Amino acid sequence: MKLLKHYIKSFLFLELLKGMSVTGRYLFARKITVQYPEEKTPMSPRFRGLHAQRRYANGEERCIACKLCEAVCPALAITIDVTERDDGTRRTSRYDIDLFKCIYCGFCEEACPVDAIVETEIFEYHFENRGENIMTKDKLLAIGDKYEVQIAAAKAADAPYR
Amino acid sequence: MTEELVTFTVNGQELKAPKGSMLIKATDAADIRIPRFCYHDKLSVAASCRMCLVDVEKAPKPMPACATPVMEGMVVQTRSPRAIAAQKSVMEFLLINHPLDCPICDQGGECELQDVAMGYGGDVSQYSDIKRVVFDKDIGPLIATELTRCIQCTRCVRFGEEIAGMRELGATDRGDRLVIGTFIEKSVDSEMSGNAIDVCPVGALTAKPSRFSARAWEMMQHPGIAPHDAVGSNVFIHTIHGKVLRVVPRDNEAINEVWISDRDRFSYQGLYAEDRLAVPMVKQGHEWVESDWDNALQLAVEGLQAIVKNDSAKQLGAWTSPSATLEEQYLLQKLMRAMGSGNIDHRLRQADFSDQDAAPVMPWLGQSIENIEALDAALLVGSHVRKDQPMIAHRLRKAAIHNKAAISFINPRRFDWHFPVAHECATDMLADLAAVAKAAFELASTPVPAHLADVVNAAAVNDTHRQLASDLQQAENSSVMLGDMAHHHPQFAAIRKLADALAKQTASHLAYLSEGANSGGAWLAGAVPHRGVAGSDAIKGMTFGEMLANPCRALITLNIEPEYDALHGADALAAAKRADFVVAISSYVTDNIKSYADVILPLAMFTETSGTYVNAEGVWQGFKGASVAVGESRPGWKILRVMGNLLDLDGFDYVSSEDVKDELKQQCQDIQLNNSVECTQPVQVAKTTGLQRIGDVPLYAVDALVRRATQLQKTTDAQQNAARINARQATASGVADSDKVKVKQGEVHSYLKLIIDEAIPDNCVWVSAAVHDTLSLGPVFGTIELEKV
Amino acid sequence: MTDTNTILSAHTREEIDEWITRYPAEQKKSALLAALRAAQHQNNGYLTTELMDAVADYLALTKIEVYEVASFYSMYELNPVARHNVAVCTNVCCMLMGSDTIVDHLEKKLDIKLGESTADGRIYLKVEEECLAACAGGPMMQVNHKYYTDLTPEKVDEIIDALE
Repeated sequence: MKLLKHYIKSFLFLELLKGMSVTGRYLFARKITVQYPEEKTPMSPRFRGLHAQRRYANGEERCIACKLCEAVCPALAITIDVTERDDGTRRTSRYDIDLFKCIYCGFCEEACPVDAIVETEIFEYHFENRGENIMTKDKLLAIGDKYEVQIAAAKAADAPYR
Repeated sequence: MTEELVTFTVNGQELKAPKGSMLIKATDAADIRIPRFCYHDKLSVAASCRMCLVDVEKAPKPMPACATPVMEGMVVQTRSPRAIAAQKSVMEFLLINHPLDCPICDQGGECELQDVAMGYGGDVSQYSDIKRVVFDKDIGPLIATELTRCIQCTRCVRFGEEIAGMRELGATDRGDRLVIGTFIEKSVDSEMSGNAIDVCPVGALTAKPSRFSARAWEMMQHPGIAPHDAVGSNVFIHTIHGKVLRVVPRDNEAINEVWISDRDRFSYQGLYAEDRLAVPMVKQGHEWVESDWDNALQLAVEGLQAIVKNDSAKQLGAWTSPSATLEEQYLLQKLMRAMGSGNIDHRLRQADFSDQDAAPVMPWLGQSIENIEALDAALLVGSHVRKDQPMIAHRLRKAAIHNKAAISFINPRRFDWHFPVAHECATDMLADLAAVAKAAFELASTPVPAHLADVVNAAAVNDTHRQLASDLQQAENSSVMLGDMAHHHPQFAAIRKLADALAKQTASHLAYLSEGANSGGAWLAGAVPHRGVAGSDAIKGMTFGEMLANPCRALITLNIEPEYDALHGADALAAAKRADFVVAISSYVTDNIKSYADVILPLAMFTETSGTYVNAEGVWQGFKGASVAVGESRPGWKILRVMGNLLDLDGFDYVSSEDVKDELKQQCQDIQLNNSVECTQPVQVAKTTGLQRIGDVPLYAVDALVRRATQLQKTTDAQQNAARINARQATASGVADSDKVKVKQGEVHSYLKLIIDEAIPDNCVWVSAAVHDTLSLGPVFGTIELEKV
Repeated sequence: MTDTNTILSAHTREEIDEWITRYPAEQKKSALLAALRAAQHQNNGYLTTELMDAVADYLALTKIEVYEVASFYSMYELNPVARHNVAVCTNVCCMLMGSDTIVDHLEKKLDIKLGESTADGRIYLKVEEECLAACAGGPMMQVNHKYYTDLTPEKVDEIIDALE
């Protein structure tokens, strides 16, 4: 009896039709696929991507070398050297983030008292050479300069929830 | 002394404390934590911060624990709702004007305000107006100010008044405008000003040299011993990535209490001086080339061996710094004596070696450092103790103030003291001392010992001398101390004998305030030409003075710059230059070292090496390496050990500096320290004529390390490049204030600025040694000529 | 060291000596207030660092102790001021009695603000003078060492014009 049922089913391509019906349904359903890289998924303002260092509107770097990010970093990815700048302010003479070590936890961003170190929405980046994984202060500031509008918008969007 | 104890309860725990003592002392002893800012164990009570408010039963208001004496049956709650509310409110008040700049504050992470705010404060302030701002004044090269952060606890003000003895900081203006500062633009010049940084509970006063260089949590803390004076202050060395970042005091009630001198605190800067030697250097022909250790050591050993072989071991000499570690000194003398020479000396600034055989096995303080503050009378001979041994001076100050002790001085000149001085003789050290001795003998109607008769009987006694003698005679606990300038005196032996006789006559402790961190250790280790380890018999050799007169053909120098570190710098340099072969074990390389050395071996020093210092009271204080040695420099004991091996000498197979110390300790265990001088060789006094040079070694010039501490060199105390005479003498010599004068000492001369200083006696010119412009001159005591240029 | 004798006048020193005698010998510090007052008087109403240092030397105090006291009390002027010190009380009682009008009048009349001196060096208006304990006669002011009570603008004119 069981065998007979099986024969009838396979003879009538029932499974195939069932499968085709799924395909058919999705053929006319609303598409959810994103055509990356032409299209991108929406992103939370809290997204934690590549790091950047910000400046104030007057061009002064925000970072005051307090070393809190270095202290909080669970992966020990941040290295900072401090110095007194000629005008007597406390500044970093070195600010390196090792992206191989970084786990993108965002603690540095949380710890920062002046919103200097931030994690941007950039996640598409690559290294071609050894050593490029070290984000130096200059690189971080350059990223900050380039994406300041986006960073500021993300900060503003998140502000009400903080 | 039994004190009446009272019983009271704190948080339900029954405590006992002496009647009248403050509550906070008792709770601290019982480990009950009460927050505080203005209270400091070593300072007077101000009760100005109100942070220590606690709830005392039956009291209408919360009471400050620092200013509430304990009473029988008192019931105290430190964590009751009322106490907590009071503490929280005070915290809120204190934070009204305190900036929230912790991220850029050097105190961040080790700040009492942060800690207490976390523990006892609220999280929101009701205050939303503008905070006050205080403009900073520059108070010198050592302390950085950020007075906006000040919470007006006045600890620094009280420190200056009560401990440093120099009221330099004060609280000016009032109410919400109260400002801590110097009021006028002025630097803080106390020799222990750096402690104000430690007492400051916030980041208002921070260390300038280490400003903005690291956070408290990154630093590693290592115990260490300060390497500049015979006190052997206990310190903590804070390092980051193996580099010394700062030095802070380590509590040791018996030695330095909770303080250290600025010299001990900031000298570490010298570790990273530009002329620090990183790799061994050897001379090839007339060229200096960097070398590796094997080659350099081989050359050093071959050079020494050649001299011994071609001439004799007697042509071998060694000069060691009195601040070298015990291990280094021991191994150096062992090496020298094993090669057959006894020409080793650490007494580079001593002029008179004539009674060295009568010298104690280890000249020491004759008492504990703690005993100094219990003294009833003291006579210091040739000592600018305030600058030479600041922590001893601090104890003397305590004796003078709390004990009303009669502290007197016999010095070549008058100095500014930070405590009441009973008598100060400032003419001729030897004559004054002889006069005091004479007065003491007269007072007790005892005959003058025969060997002192000439000098004592010739002395002219005045009332000051008599009072001084009677002070010492009457005091139960008294001391006669020989300072640095006594050691430098051309008639040190006479001074020593007189001091010894005076001390015996008045039942005082004879004390040596010896130079360097380890001259006591040098005596024990046998780094003297006439005795071996622990005063034993050994191959005898030439004293440093003799080595200058008859230069050796081969020389080993250990961590010294002869032109600075020797009493007669120019002669020492010349003697070194005349040697055929010189091995300089040195942390630095200078043109002068290059001019005489053939091999320079880089020496790891201070925080970079392990070792032991024996302080003035005979305490052996060991320490371990705290920081990474600069370049390829190596600890001295390792260098000497390997040299011993290469020279095929026996007994150089140590594995650690501990081994060296243990070997030495074994030989020293039977030593009873005793300063008594058993020498009856008659004292002859040479008459001096003409204008005399007097001088000292300024506190920031005592050794190679501190001479390179850049910030210390900027202090007022370091500015000693001048000749000082009094106005009468200036008129007599035809010179005037601020003149440029030519100072001549025998064949040599130097050009100095003249300063009129009434503290200088007639017929004398004060010219400090070991500072750049006076290097070419002769010893600090001697005939001198002045000429206007 | 500054030479005290040349900086403090004979009269000032005499006055300080007189005050010193009123206190126990070892408490010369007690005479500090009077000494500063005398020194200020000698210098036409204000203290200089030099004067304060001289007082410190004279009383064997540290300089900073003198600075502390001099900066604490509002009676000592640490900046150059004009020779007549006019202090209008602006504390509660006087304010209720109209001291604001007096201050306004003075400011307009002399064309200076509180805390300023007139250009001719004649009059200094002291800033923020607190209660001078003459509340019954408010509004009141102190001109140099003398009290004037129940002021009206007219009366003020009269007093001020009489000052040289």
